[in-house]
Amino acid sequence: MSETLMSEPLPMPARADAPRRVAPPPGYWRLAWGERHLLIERRALIVSLLLLGLLTASSLAYLCLGQQVLSPAGAWAALKGEGDPLAGFLVRELRFPRLLAAWLTGAAFALAGCLMQTLARNRLATPGIIGIDNGATAFAVASVVGLGVSLAPPAMALVGAATAAAVTFGVASGGDTRGYRFIVAGIGVGAVFGAVTQLLLARVDIDTANQAYPWTVGTLNARPGGAVAVLGIGLALGWPLAMALARPLSLMRFSDAVARGLGVGLRRRRAQILGLSVLLTALAVAVAGPVGMVGLIGPEIARSLSTSRGVPLTASALAGALVMVLADLTGRLLLAPIELPVGIVTAVVGGPWLLWILMRPTHRRVS
Amino acid sequence: MSKAASVNIEPRPSAGLSRVMPMLSGLLALAVLASLLWGAGEVGPARALAVLAGHGDSEARFVVETLRLPRTLIGIAVGLSLGVAGALLQAVSRNPLAEPGLLGVSAGAAFAVAVALWLGASAATLRVAVAQVGALGGCLAVMSVARLRGPGDDPVRLVLAGAAFSALLASLTSLLLLFDQRTADEIRFWVVGSLAGRRLDDLAAVLPSLGLALVVTALIARPLAALALGERVASGLGHRPGRVRALVVIAVALLVGAATAIAGPIAFVGLVVPFAARALAGPDIRRTLWLCLPLGPLMVLAADVVSRRVVAPSELPLGVLTALVGAPVLVAVVRARRLPTL
Repeated sequence: MSETLMSEPLPMPARADAPRRVAPPPGYWRLAWGERHLLIERRALIVSLLLLGLLTASSLAYLCLGQQVLSPAGAWAALKGEGDPLAGFLVRELRFPRLLAAWLTGAAFALAGCLMQTLARNRLATPGIIGIDNGATAFAVASVVGLGVSLAPPAMALVGAATAAAVTFGVASGGDTRGYRFIVAGIGVGAVFGAVTQLLLARVDIDTANQAYPWTVGTLNARPGGAVAVLGIGLALGWPLAMALARPLSLMRFSDAVARGLGVGLRRRRAQILGLSVLLTALAVAVAGPVGMVGLIGPEIARSLSTSRGVPLTASALAGALVMVLADLTGRLLLAPIELPVGIVTAVVGGPWLLWILMRPTHRRVS
Repeated sequence: MSKAASVNIEPRPSAGLSRVMPMLSGLLALAVLASLLWGAGEVGPARALAVLAGHGDSEARFVVETLRLPRTLIGIAVGLSLGVAGALLQAVSRNPLAEPGLLGVSAGAAFAVAVALWLGASAATLRVAVAQVGALGGCLAVMSVARLRGPGDDPVRLVLAGAAFSALLASLTSLLLLFDQRTADEIRFWVVGSLAGRRLDDLAAVLPSLGLALVVTALIARPLAALALGERVASGLGHRPGRVRALVVIAVALLVGAATAIAGPIAFVGLVVPFAARALAGPDIRRTLWLCLPLGPLMVLAADVVSRRVVAPSELPLGVLTALVGAPVLVAVVRARRLPTL
């Protein structure tokens, strides 16, 4: 900084009437009330509405299709509690709670994935890949096989996710979350937890191993009721928190120096973003088991639709919910009456996608 | 290899190698002895020692001769193939993290065997060939995805591609298990990776391909060392980089396929063994390969003995133990201030 630059007083606009005179930048809508105003990116709003429409349509299909096919009108009536009692049972007791779980878990996984990808400046740094899912699985399985721990499997999954996250961050030399070393440290931690899971499963009889099976693949079949409610609360709190972090997040996509220069308290923000991401993942794993691929696919879809101006948090959450609903619907229908666990469907879709990302030369960039 | 080729342009065989080799051989002998003496069952070291001395009771004789001896021999073969395969793969990709298990080569072999079992195959001899074809497929897939040849590539990207590939194959395998409960049981115990309950017939089935792979390795050790100096230097010295790479891929597929066919997918041996070998003998691939010969069996046998004793009277799968040992090594390699490139 040279002296002459510093000594020039900057012409400051008069504060009082500033908001009213400023025209919104191109591509934005301005929402103003009184002194306050809010800029809404047009593209982001359109993308979110589009994803919301797709989500609604696929949710309707989710309620209608299955072993027993219902008409859309019939499904709607059954949801309201009218019409055929069998259809009512089918929709209200079986399909709708499962749909709700799909929405919540998909949104939570994808939101967590988007947060962590942005933080690490790496599209591949999703909670599933850095071993958090594996940690949750290992702890949940430990609870199922009865390792003298009195916590229920969903609670243990929470503890496991937090443990795995702590170990990964500890191992990857403190707060440095950038680059591939962090991810490989996560893969290593994940491998250890995977080995622990296998160790636990190898020591018990086949019936107990079958009980633990849902926790190793990821399925919406065995959703524990309390965990869904907790996830709902967590998402209701976590989504506004993530939105509040959107501005520092979009600055943190640049280098540390730029972000710090623009007034982002890096250390504090990093801790907040990481904590939120790990918490959302842990709550979602407690419901559905390790379906971490959604955390990769959801933000990918959202990012390909959005501009690179902001971080597409809402769009990611909606896309994640959409992916989850479609994947579970596919799993239910594809080989009926056998039901494919949703974790397998997302892995079969997400694995090649991940490889494709790796093959492209621009794999380093987040946006 | 280096001994046969010690004409005057060679660097003199390092003093380190001649000092380290006898020590490692001694350790390996100890590991073999331990593998014969200790087990999960009731036959303790004293009774097993009596058998080795030639006058044991019939039960101990049975346990040592028909259970532990084949298991030890198989452990040696598996450790040898995985260690050498890891060293070859790391040399050709110039990447210290390239490891058959991490890169999805083992997963490819395991998936091929799972498909074969699902289709109704049961003969052990068929299993070896199938596993080797699968390993070859896995090798080629991951290499093409991560463009192994790019010299400036981030070494870690290969591991990511391998992890993605392995996860994909694992979910496809569990898809197979959903269809067929009969094969599910057969595969479930094999897919973990263990030396328990394997017979000498299994070993005999893989010996020819193991020998072939070692011969190929001996032939390409020198060109590989030249390749470490760079593509153009190697060409200038009269080697053909493309052909060397193809031979390495074939050797790795033969080795990993053989090991996987016997023991199931075992990760991290191919990472830890060359890592230790380089730490002992420096980066020359010829010395690394020599050291992998005792180090691989040493690691597998030691892990196997521990796996029998930790949760006795039941056993720990070998793959679990190698992961517990190997993952910290992986993290240590990655945490090094500058990622070493080979």
